Amino acid sequence: MTKELTVKNKINREPVNWAKILSPVFIVLITMIFTSFLIWTTRGNLLNAYYYMIVGAFGSLSAFISTLNKAVPISFAGFAVAVSSKTGIFNIGIEGQLVFGALGSSLAGLYVTGLPGFMHIPICIISGMLFGMLYALIPALLYVKKGTGLLVIHIMMNNIANLLITYFVVGPFAGDNRMIASTNPIQDSAKLPYLITTPNKLTIGIIISIAVACILWHYLNKTTSGYELRTCGDNSIAAKFAGIKVKRYQAGALLASGALAGLAGSIEVLGTYHRLYDNFSPGYGFDGIPIAMLASGNPFGVLVGAFLFGVLRVGSINMQSKAGVSSEIVLVIQGVLITLIAAQYIIRFAINKLVYRKKKEERA
Amino acid sequence: MDISVQMYGITMKFPGVVANDNIDFEVRRSEVHALVGENGAGKTTLMNILYGLYIPTAGHIKIWGEEQRFQSAIDAIQAGIGMVHQHFMLVPSLSVADNIVLGDEPHKGVVYQRDQSVELIKKLCTKYDMNLDPTKIVAQVSLGTQQRIEIMKALYRQAEIIILDEPTAVLTPQEIDELGAMLIKLKSMGKTIIIITHKLKEVVAFSDRVTVLRRGKVVSTVNTGESSADKITNMMVGRNVQLGGNKIKKECGKEVLRVDNVRYYDGRIEKLKGVSLSVHSGEILGIAGIDNSGQKELTELIAGIHKPNKGSILLDGQKLTGNDISRIKDKGVGFIPQDRQTSGLALGMSVQENLMMGFHRKSEYRSRKFLLNKEGIAKEAKDKIKIFDIRPENPAALARTLSGGNQQKVVVAREVSNSSRLIIADQPSRGVDIGAIELIHKTLVDARNNGMAVLLVSLELDEVMLLSDRIAVIYDGQIMGILDAATATREQIGMMMAGVKMYDKGADCEKQN
Amino acid sequence: MSHTIIIAIIISILRLSVPVVITGLGNMFSVRAGIMNLGAEGMMITGAFCAVLGSYFTGNPWIGVICGVMGGMVIGLFHSLICVEFGGMQNISGLGLNMLAAGLTSFFCRSIYGTGFSPTVASIQKTGFLAKIPLIGNVLAQFSPIFYVLILLFLLCCFIVDKTVVGLRMNSVGFNPQMVETAGIDVWKLKHISVLVCGSLAGLAGAYLSIGQLNIFMEGMTMGKGMLAVIAVQMGRQQPQRILIIALIFGLCDALQLQLQINNVGIAPELIQTIPYIAGITALAMDSSAGIAPRMMQPYLKNKYKF
Repeated sequence: MTKELTVKNKINREPVNWAKILSPVFIVLITMIFTSFLIWTTRGNLLNAYYYMIVGAFGSLSAFISTLNKAVPISFAGFAVAVSSKTGIFNIGIEGQLVFGALGSSLAGLYVTGLPGFMHIPICIISGMLFGMLYALIPALLYVKKGTGLLVIHIMMNNIANLLITYFVVGPFAGDNRMIASTNPIQDSAKLPYLITTPNKLTIGIIISIAVACILWHYLNKTTSGYELRTCGDNSIAAKFAGIKVKRYQAGALLASGALAGLAGSIEVLGTYHRLYDNFSPGYGFDGIPIAMLASGNPFGVLVGAFLFGVLRVGSINMQSKAGVSSEIVLVIQGVLITLIAAQYIIRFAINKLVYRKKKEERA
Repeated sequence: MDISVQMYGITMKFPGVVANDNIDFEVRRSEVHALVGENGAGKTTLMNILYGLYIPTAGHIKIWGEEQRFQSAIDAIQAGIGMVHQHFMLVPSLSVADNIVLGDEPHKGVVYQRDQSVELIKKLCTKYDMNLDPTKIVAQVSLGTQQRIEIMKALYRQAEIIILDEPTAVLTPQEIDELGAMLIKLKSMGKTIIIITHKLKEVVAFSDRVTVLRRGKVVSTVNTGESSADKITNMMVGRNVQLGGNKIKKECGKEVLRVDNVRYYDGRIEKLKGVSLSVHSGEILGIAGIDNSGQKELTELIAGIHKPNKGSILLDGQKLTGNDISRIKDKGVGFIPQDRQTSGLALGMSVQENLMMGFHRKSEYRSRKFLLNKEGIAKEAKDKIKIFDIRPENPAALARTLSGGNQQKVVVAREVSNSSRLIIADQPSRGVDIGAIELIHKTLVDARNNGMAVLLVSLELDEVMLLSDRIAVIYDGQIMGILDAATATREQIGMMMAGVKMYDKGADCEKQN
Repeated sequence: MSHTIIIAIIISILRLSVPVVITGLGNMFSVRAGIMNLGAEGMMITGAFCAVLGSYFTGNPWIGVICGVMGGMVIGLFHSLICVEFGGMQNISGLGLNMLAAGLTSFFCRSIYGTGFSPTVASIQKTGFLAKIPLIGNVLAQFSPIFYVLILLFLLCCFIVDKTVVGLRMNSVGFNPQMVETAGIDVWKLKHISVLVCGSLAGLAGAYLSIGQLNIFMEGMTMGKGMLAVIAVQMGRQQPQRILIIALIFGLCDALQLQLQINNVGIAPELIQTIPYIAGITALAMDSSAGIAPRMMQPYLKNKYKF
């Protein structure tokens, strides 16, 4: 296996591994260059496009709040991937778990009646998380019991989830307005309270997000259980030999991941749209993947990445309407990021060579 | 021209490491030349350069007097060099013939002529007096046969110079003798043979000349007949090394571990066919045997990784089987697994996190019920690092950055410090430098002196004979016999390793008292 | 059931199975050589789009086919560079390329045509000259020429895998690349070729989807067929004959769901459309030994890329 070279600090403190820090930066840079090239080939004026993107995301307080709103569900998707990746599992099914969770919370929001807000909202959220967890159950069982590869199953489950939600929203749970593919609006008692209402609405979702990040970080790094989970992620065989119940952690991580994804969907339903729209998610689940991987599973890194993706999502809408750049560009960005992450080994190798050569020159 | 291989001024640099440092090396026709050195001395690197797998940073190679620049193994093969690697390079699902001819297949256009390859192999077997069935599937043949296949690969390509990397690692003493006979035959046919090994018995037995490497440099080249195993060891390590710890004469203690007629199936294959043994307090029971005879399964069963299909395992008279791995650890059992990188360490985590792995629920590592105690963890780690001389001394260093020997020391430190009744050590000195081996031997023997029971598995017969109080031999999932280490001979053990049962005399510790 | 309905069903199954079979054969080479290819879906959609582009700009569907093959090969080239040359993570590379290809094809489709689907283009849905054959000519003509290319391709693949030197080497490389290297063979060239072949075939399958079955390109028109091919190769243990059978079964599910939708059986269309995906999951769940092929799916690095 590969040995990672570490460049030691002269004061003999903990060696700083440049490659680990620089490679995400490098990957983001290459992605930006590639994206710029694409925009330039189709719409010519690059600066124009970026201008409108930034204006769309930061141009006014209202826009900034929009960005934060978008960042919230993306951050939960990122947490979902982070939890499973720290356990050594790659959960690509978050998109399906997310929309299924949205279904759960909207059902609770529509049909559970007669409760005051402070009871109704937690029930809706829990319902959403449960639905997300449920949707992750079958793949999790197959993986832990039979060792079936998760990747392909999750992709299939994602596709099925989209079809199912369309069915529900157009069929049994369809709203009274048949022109729009959505359910009826949820009851007022289920709507998430707002932190700010002017110039734009910001729900408490952002507080929940930061709280979850803190809880996750604390769990992973400070608790015994978190240590066991991380050991499973580093070397599941050594963890097993050490007496750690690896299968339990793996299944648990997948289910927790599903729950977090469900939470992402729930926040969108309960906070932003107040109903379940067909195709409400432009792929938040897939945003979570590169974010969590570039952040190496660090919850606070995920927050930063989610914010950046929020900028991307909101800004690309403006970019499309004002500069004519198709908002599918976000899909391209997702793809380039993930593909480059796959090539991380060679990127770190190249960075190491550069740094090592510099050190050699310094010594010579 | 009598000199087949000349390597001079060979230097090989990798990032951070100089594997070969200005080496001069020369071999002659009709000679068996041993290249020795401890783990990490640079022997395999040097031969990989000769075989074209690496391009040296500096230096020249001459084959039969002609300067050569090998860009890849293809060039080396064309120059008449063949290499038999330590880990056999065979495709188990293909036949013997397919494996041998791969890369130089007899063909008509694009079509592969399988029948022709079988014929060719048969002819070669006759010529070199080798016993191989070209149509058999490799997955079904023994290790000794696999080695012959590897040698045949080189001969098929008309190699005149054959390099063997640690050839005896997986052979029984009888198979080692057969190999020796084959080498003599090949030598007599004019071949040049280079063996890389760290096993001095074989060096003394087979070779005409020996070149000793230490830390990438040549120490010297001597005629085997004029030297001795001790002198060579001294050249390899640079100092006098005391292996085997310091055994105190001990009386037989109480029985700690009892394995009773244990059977174990791995899938459909029966790996353990009714194994019984016992280990007492204050004793080292060594298990000798060729690789893959069931040692790994046995040690893993005792440690609780698997459950036996039949039979039972008792610790201090109480049933051990059926317990969780962590419960077994709680009962005072430490386990040094066979493959430290796969099963013993989390390479991406720090040394201190590795030092507590498996015992992390103990009170010294925790503060309040669910939280980790950072100070406790660091303190325990620093203590162990000091006692076991683990380098680098930084507890926060990633386990990945440690050398093989230091990684093994981490595992040994952790398991021995945290166990109180029984230590299971599965090949603890494999791939480890002599300094670390010295320490590991001392640790195990000290534990034994202090009353612990030690179950030692090793493929190195010397190590087993040196450390053990009693020796059990395992073959094909069965115990062939248990001998008193003081009186056991290599021949006896060798026969048992090859499948001959021997009934012990005075080999039951309790009967002696 | 009368003759005509049975024949119609068989024709439907055969036509619908073509993309999965072609991609499956391509994936077979890649997996045999030890490179997992989850990016088959991305290679297919790229092939579909490039085929339509080629046909659109030149009016000649055969040029479209060539463009489709090349489109798939380009994505295969990226996968090959990352996985074979640079030792990257194969599963993530495949998934990333899927998303990238989906994004790029959508992006360019919308940029050029303004919407998520292209205008109709010249296609090769039928093989006209076969109609002249007596009796069965009419039936035979209903298949696209690509279908007949597939038959040849299948026979060729069986031959290569079993009887040729290249097939033997490619197979060995997947099991033990180190051994093959020490035998003096260029391991990386073999792996590169197998992945490029895989990409080309997936591109061909994509071209069939857009201009062999239909005559337009739609976003996401691959509908999971690339993944079904991956499943088929895994379940079929990389044997061409088994891959064919499994692909036909998936084709059957596809035909079934189309028929149910057409016949308006009273079940919602979305639920019917889940049938192929559920079939895929069921197949995976049934696969014993967890599909762990004893192939070395780890990256095999050249010395110059080692730390």
